[in-house]
Amino acid sequence: MKKIITIAKWEFLEKVKTKAFIISLVITPLIIIAFSVLPTLLSQKEDLRTKIIGVVDTSGVYFTPLQKELEEYKIENNQPQYVLINLTEKNKPLDELKAKADRDVLDKGIEGYLLIRNGGTDSLKVEFRSEKVGSFGDLRRFEEKINKIRMQNELLAKGMSTELVKILQNNVEIEHIKIEKSGEEGKSNFMVVFFSAFIFILLLMMMVIYSGQMLVRSLIEEKSNRIIEILISSCKPEELLAGKILGLSALGLTQIFIWSLIGITLVGGAVIPPEAFEGILPMLLYFVLGFLFYTTIFVSIGSIVNTEQEAQQITTYISLVLVMPVVLAMPAIENPNSLLLKVMTYIPFTTPSIMLLKLKIVDVPVSEIIITVAIMLLSTIITIKLAAKIFRIGILSYGKRPTLQEISQWIREK
Amino acid sequence: MLVVENLVKEFNNVTAVNNISFTVKPGAIFGLLGPNGAGKTTTIRTILNIIKPTSGKILFNGNPITDEFFNIIGYLPEERGLYRKSKVIDIILYFAELKNMRRDEAAKEADRWLKQLNIYQHKNKKLEELSKGNQQKIQFITSIIHNPQLMIFDEPFAGFDPINQQEIKDLIFSFRSEGKIIMLSTHQMDTAEKLCSEIFLIDNGKEVKSGKLADIKKEFGTRHIKLEYNGDASFIKSLPEVETCDTYNNYAEIKLRDDTDPAQFLKKIVSKIDVYHFSVIEPTLNQIFIDLIKENN
Repeated sequence: MKKIITIAKWEFLEKVKTKAFIISLVITPLIIIAFSVLPTLLSQKEDLRTKIIGVVDTSGVYFTPLQKELEEYKIENNQPQYVLINLTEKNKPLDELKAKADRDVLDKGIEGYLLIRNGGTDSLKVEFRSEKVGSFGDLRRFEEKINKIRMQNELLAKGMSTELVKILQNNVEIEHIKIEKSGEEGKSNFMVVFFSAFIFILLLMMMVIYSGQMLVRSLIEEKSNRIIEILISSCKPEELLAGKILGLSALGLTQIFIWSLIGITLVGGAVIPPEAFEGILPMLLYFVLGFLFYTTIFVSIGSIVNTEQEAQQITTYISLVLVMPVVLAMPAIENPNSLLLKVMTYIPFTTPSIMLLKLKIVDVPVSEIIITVAIMLLSTIITIKLAAKIFRIGILSYGKRPTLQEISQWIREK
Repeated sequence: MLVVENLVKEFNNVTAVNNISFTVKPGAIFGLLGPNGAGKTTTIRTILNIIKPTSGKILFNGNPITDEFFNIIGYLPEERGLYRKSKVIDIILYFAELKNMRRDEAAKEADRWLKQLNIYQHKNKKLEELSKGNQQKIQFITSIIHNPQLMIFDEPFAGFDPINQQEIKDLIFSFRSEGKIIMLSTHQMDTAEKLCSEIFLIDNGKEVKSGKLADIKKEFGTRHIKLEYNGDASFIKSLPEVETCDTYNNYAEIKLRDDTDPAQFLKKIVSKIDVYHFSVIEPTLNQIFIDLIKENN
């Protein structure tokens, strides 16, 4: 046991001091922040100025009500978000109006203009012509308002009362409530469910991939330097294996801890909803078991390969298996009781991530938790046993990568 | 005392070590010699308890090897390497702790050894900043810092310049006088000849020759002749008494057949060339090694 601690301490301290670790500690959160916060910041900034929108309205009935409807959108200091100017001039041909408005868009500060054309008795053709494309938010609002006005006009024209029209135009929104066993209502906000389950799967993934690769790299270094010969003339291979896993797990946890600190101080509760931490204990259990299971597999790989390239080939495939449940996250949220999901719940490779998802989406029966934890425990113990055997011989064989047949022979060897 | 009895190790039906037995006594240096791929490393790894033997016994002071054995063994592997990016003192302390040394004790011993090998000024540098020779010294320190009872050195002089070789050799001799059990594996025969009092020659996993170096030399002696001369000596090769003959310019090393008397041989050649030096020499271990391995194949 003392030797395991010595090895773990060494692995931890030596890796913590490396430039690569310090850089990844800072760079990774920066990248995540850049990807998650920047787009919001950018589009928010866009909204901070008043936009001038021209209107060319050949029907003549849309400009005034549209102006009124769009007044509801405000920016800071109660300033309007949109200012509409009427570019329609009577008795001028449409082509001329269009050409002039186009020029206004290009030369003056007009964001764009709405071209509303009456195409017969009840059809309407609307274009938004602007220099930039991609102001989806604005477009959706214009569309909604124009449709509203059109419907209103039509209904009123057909003789319906103004009151009735108002009632008809009230939208009904469905609120989704998740029922939990305690009889309490849980607000099943899609984003919360999605993020809280996802954060854990992503953390697990990052930790497994990061620590796993670290482990493989350190093993390859020791193999190619033949340090391994001194190590295993000082302790049992099992102790070396355990020490490495322990040390690098501590490293991964440190990293995640520091990342969380950075995350919490930088964005407060905004990115990670507090609901994410509900029922964290069983999740942590799956997290730890999943981590151990995968790390052990990485160790076996590290002990049979000789170069980093070889290692990368294999670790990429294994990482993919781990990532697979992420792809299934959407359908899983929609239909947590599907057969595929049920099957994957009991396959040790996918159990941790599926259970992390499921714990958030549905009320998982205690029996299922017990069975899956047992499966994970058992398969982790088996992989550790197998890994120790592969490791024992693998770390001493240089040169050619062993065939599956040879590996199975190592496992059978006492 | 380290006793190896009827050691056999097979890998996938290939016999790497085939029924060898030897004893390494304290206070003497035991040479495990053999060409590349002869089974030296496998034998050492089995003794180190890194791999399990297919059959046979290894006893240390009469007891079978256990996990405790790790802490009383010092091993310098043939292919050297340590953590290049780590600090010298950290590396030494790590390996010392792995050998169950207390940290304070290890720190004291590390300082002592660093000073003794004149590399104390590099204590806090990264290993990769050191010259190759100094890196080797660090590796040597890591293998003996815990004062092991059994020391196994695989090619200990590889990578050292002559001055450092001298230093390491003196150290190994001092371990011998302290009564350590020392095993040296090498294919540098001149090294083995200078250091070892007993040798075990292994080839293709089998024993070829073993025993006291002096006895082996005696057994092979009296047939080797060193000759300096003037004239054309090319006829010597075809003489029936001669088994092998290396002729250089005015100099030749000759090996006679078993039953030949060197004096008779001298008489035969003085009439044809001017001989001004003739001596019967002890064969070098190198010569014995080459002869034995060739014979074996």
